[in-house]
Amino acid sequence: MNKENKLLSYHKAWQINKRAFTLIYKRYPQMILSRLICIVWDALTPYVGIYLSALLIEELSESRDTSIIKNLVLIILCSITIISLVAAFLHKWRDTACAGLYYKIQQILSEKLMDMDYEDADNAKTHELYDTIEQNRNGGGWGLNRVYGHVEGILSAVLTLFGGIALTVTLFTSRVPYSSGNYTILNHPLFIVLIIAVMLAITYLAPMLSNKARSYYALNSNSHNLGNRLFGFWGWLGYDNDLAADVRIYRLDFICDKHNNDKTGIFGSGGMFAKLSRGPIGLYNAASSAISVLFNGVVYAFVCLKAIGGAFGIGAVTQYIAAITKLSGSVSTLLQTAGDMRNNASFLKLIFAFLDIPNRMYQGSLTVEKRADRDYEIEFRDVSFNYPGSENYALRHVSMKFKIGERLAIVGRNGSGKTTFIKLLCRLYDPTEGEILLNGINIRKYNYKEYLSVFSVVFQDFKLFAYSLGENIATNIEYDVKLATQCLINAGFETRLKELPDGLNTYLYKDFCKQGVDISGGEAQKIALARALYKDAPFIVLDEPTAALDPIAESEVYSNFDKLVGDKTAVYISHRLSSCRFCDDIAVFDNGQVVEHGNHDKLITDKNGKYHELWFAQAQYYAEKA
Amino acid sequence: MSQSSDKKEKVSKPKYNMWQCSGYMINLAWREKEKKVLVLCLLQAFLVVFSNLVNLYISPSILAVVERRSSFAELITTIITFVILLLFCSAASSYVSSNTLYGRVSVRGAIIAAINKKSCITSYPNITDEKFIKLRSKSGQVVRGNREATEAIWGTLTSILQNGVGFIIYLILILSLNGWLMLVVLATSLLGYFINKKLSGYGYRHREEEGEISGKLWYQIMQAKNYSAAKDIRIFGMKPWMEEVSSKAITAFTAFHKRANNIYMWGSILDLVLSFLRNGFAYAYLIYLILHNGLSVSQFLLYFSAVGGFAAWVGGILGGLTTLYRQSLDISTVREFLDYSEPFKFEDGKALPSSMDTPYEIMLENVSFRYPEARDYTLQNINLTIHNGEKLAVVGLNGAGKTTLVKLICGFFDPTEGRVLLDGQDIRQYNRRDYYALFSAVFQNFSLLAGTVATNIAQTEDNQDVSRINDCLEKAGLTEKIATFSNGLQTYLNRRVYEDGVELSGGETQRLMLARALYKKTHFIILDEPTAALDPIAESEMYQKYNKMTEGCTSVYISHRLASTRFCDRILLIDDHGIAEEGTHSELLNCNGKYAKLFEIQGKYYREGNIHEQRKQITELS
Repeated sequence: MNKENKLLSYHKAWQINKRAFTLIYKRYPQMILSRLICIVWDALTPYVGIYLSALLIEELSESRDTSIIKNLVLIILCSITIISLVAAFLHKWRDTACAGLYYKIQQILSEKLMDMDYEDADNAKTHELYDTIEQNRNGGGWGLNRVYGHVEGILSAVLTLFGGIALTVTLFTSRVPYSSGNYTILNHPLFIVLIIAVMLAITYLAPMLSNKARSYYALNSNSHNLGNRLFGFWGWLGYDNDLAADVRIYRLDFICDKHNNDKTGIFGSGGMFAKLSRGPIGLYNAASSAISVLFNGVVYAFVCLKAIGGAFGIGAVTQYIAAITKLSGSVSTLLQTAGDMRNNASFLKLIFAFLDIPNRMYQGSLTVEKRADRDYEIEFRDVSFNYPGSENYALRHVSMKFKIGERLAIVGRNGSGKTTFIKLLCRLYDPTEGEILLNGINIRKYNYKEYLSVFSVVFQDFKLFAYSLGENIATNIEYDVKLATQCLINAGFETRLKELPDGLNTYLYKDFCKQGVDISGGEAQKIALARALYKDAPFIVLDEPTAALDPIAESEVYSNFDKLVGDKTAVYISHRLSSCRFCDDIAVFDNGQVVEHGNHDKLITDKNGKYHELWFAQAQYYAEKA
Repeated sequence: MSQSSDKKEKVSKPKYNMWQCSGYMINLAWREKEKKVLVLCLLQAFLVVFSNLVNLYISPSILAVVERRSSFAELITTIITFVILLLFCSAASSYVSSNTLYGRVSVRGAIIAAINKKSCITSYPNITDEKFIKLRSKSGQVVRGNREATEAIWGTLTSILQNGVGFIIYLILILSLNGWLMLVVLATSLLGYFINKKLSGYGYRHREEEGEISGKLWYQIMQAKNYSAAKDIRIFGMKPWMEEVSSKAITAFTAFHKRANNIYMWGSILDLVLSFLRNGFAYAYLIYLILHNGLSVSQFLLYFSAVGGFAAWVGGILGGLTTLYRQSLDISTVREFLDYSEPFKFEDGKALPSSMDTPYEIMLENVSFRYPEARDYTLQNINLTIHNGEKLAVVGLNGAGKTTLVKLICGFFDPTEGRVLLDGQDIRQYNRRDYYALFSAVFQNFSLLAGTVATNIAQTEDNQDVSRINDCLEKAGLTEKIATFSNGLQTYLNRRVYEDGVELSGGETQRLMLARALYKKTHFIILDEPTAALDPIAESEMYQKYNKMTEGCTSVYISHRLASTRFCDRILLIDDHGIAEEGTHSELLNCNGKYAKLFEIQGKYYREGNIHEQRKQITELS
């Protein structure tokens, strides 16, 4: 990852920022427009006050005509009031339009996570990339959320610059009268060149110095991220009630304390950044701020000398000083923002690396026939598979067929390829070699969504969400109450459902609703099963559905199995081999291969077979009768 | 919790007030040897006021020089003086603010450490106490980032200080000119501040509403990156659902902010009316002075800027105090959490007698237990002696109270009635941490530390006994797996923290936890469902090795796989809040009770016979 932290060239940085800005603008044009219009207003209007005040001061110091003064004061007060009034409306518009902008921008990433091929969503590299993006955001605020701020900064600086220049043109054009002796030398054009040279030198140096200081943070963002992650781990270990027993038995407070009291940690007072800040970071920042002041000094001197020479009056002096102060600030903001954009570009590059992950999975267009007789047949034809980046095949030469209405059990040791088989079946992955057919046609040729609609799966690590029970069953905001209830009843959730205060409207967990219910592992498994039933797909796949259940609950699932599954095809993975007895067909996996295939009565007879070994490893403990 | 008590909680005063909390933080910085935090605050405030004054005087002073048509030398001296002052101010404040972060982070870090420590060692029943949990989660939020009270308070204190000093200086300056002008300026500033505070308080008063919506949005973002959900999201086509939930929340969020901004806008409008009045009055009065009392234009500029800047100081002080009040509520929460009372004895308890001569024996005497908020007893009238060296198994249905029983044995809970005795002595009198030192355990929820394999087994980073680690890995059946890692024992686990960390499967993690329990080598070993994630062969191996692994220990094995229990000397069946049956595997089978029934249900299908008849029999049984 270290390569990624190198600063990009300004050209590349500009391109990548432009792309990011366009991305955000296209999605949320109103937000960006409201921000930019506010910026224009806020940048230009201060000059109105500066200009008018200068007129007033001029009048006060020279002719002191009461009626002119009165009018000027009224004009100043009214124009400032109108400017603020317009600003108040503009800001209201902006703040309303931009509500939730932070989340909306996060959603760009979330959508990508849901849209990418499962292969990529499951890839550790993708996770790492996403985590890095997230840590950059949390650690230093880097990423997409900075893009529009930078554009605003640049726009504001440019407008301020032009406004300032407009108000200072006369500083150079008004000449010291010849009666002023030596002061006439100020009329020499060399002074203009000199001042511009000083301005350029300082406006180059000041931001360069401060960007230098900032670049320490950007360059060290890796150690910064690890620091944050470690801090995030050890600082909060004690909060997890689930671990409380573990923490006490193993005295984890000791090791936590060791890490938490370590002040040499990344942001601690004895840490790397603290040292850097006492040294280079602090000094660069100090030098940068100090140097900007010099420009003001030179211009002040020039303005005053010219005024003493009689080139202009006192009012103009205040106008020039105020305008120059604003202008000099804007140049350094401009360059500083440009430097920041460049720093941010390397973080944006990571974000685009993430957003640009292509969807490589071939998507066919065939529709899956919705057959009333549900006559589907699946065939694996010499399928081999290895996970991307892994050397070993997770599945090797798997060939098998199964028809609708069958019950297929899949057994085998940990890591023998059972879950991989399921993932291929549901086309979360495509086979490396061989093909999978649905009714004789390669599954890649079907429309992906249509193909997925054929399957319902309860994965081992299934996930329920903190929304209402009904929504969880239907995976939709709207749902068929009758059907959802029936599915819950079929999944064995009936008794608990009756106890729930708001029935299907009861929220799961307490994230969003104080009346939400906590559910045990066994109950969650039943809800997940109900969700799978609600989908009413011809194939239902269950991965270890009884792991969290006690003997009685387990036996209930077994005895209801036929009723549950009905005329659907069921694929059943379990470490509890007793479940194999209900299945028409058993596939025994070992080392990525299907080593045996048949029903229980057939497989058990092969004394040297894997099935026999697995079966008796468990059955031996139940040999005797009670 | 009932509504009335909810209300009561809201009005209940924080235990520590604003000054106590500020004092506490200052004291903490001092004790933590982070005095620089305080010094930097003072410096920062001083520099802000100083640079403000330099800026206030710079324009009028230069103007005065020009007005007087002074000499070249005087002009240059004035400008150079101001430039040097400005140079110093901006360089110094920039340097100071580059350095404020670290000391402040360290002080916050000390609070994080203290909260985590308290959470790690507090009496176990506290963690099921709703009030404690609330305080803990609130305290956790209060230390979570730079903007939270425990770090932001330094900025607030600095701000109050600088605004206070600035206020006094400006006050004297304007007062020196005219008392009425001062009154008008003060009155409009205060009025503007208080009305604006009232209006802008809308967001704060309705923060829960906002928090609820943003919580939903945040939850969505967290779910999208939840890797285990990725499969479900695809198979069930959940994306439209997720998007609809998000867009609903965004709509609500926007509506909320629209309401809030409509109100805030009135604040801005009020402000502009007030500044119209204030500036109008100032202009009228100052111009009058110029025209009739000979006030110079440069002084006009000075006073007018002072009038314009005054409101900022007033707003700064009052705003600072409001913020300080809110922050001190948060800090008070942290202190209340750290002060939370401990029902158990720790350092104030007796030391445990050494077991050298008498081996330990644990006895539960008429023990009943009810969770604090619960109506019903989880366990009632338990009498149980765990003999030295005994292998005990605890079985029962989900929710029968197996885990609760173990928690009583380990001293995580004290019985509601009855006593737990260690060699005849009530364990309540001992330092509870000494008592915990007698146990090692594999619980269902375990903590994979952010560290190496070796650290995860030894649970410390110092003084790891490598040969014992290897020995325990061997016993737990992990040696081969570890050998495949190029860094062996020094391989980092926990991918969440270490990018190059290794991910273990569920079964492997369970074995790692077993190795850890064996490494601790204590008198008692507790195993709670240690085979749930193992395949049949691994499970069977575990049973066969069980006696060897727990050699010399007293062990308690919890499971709902009844096959596992036969290796134990004694089996307890927990049912109906008590020990329903007790004995060896064959004794329990012979007495033909509940245990036999469960065993029959679980084992039936493993025996030969007609599947349909078996199914019928089982349905009758259960």
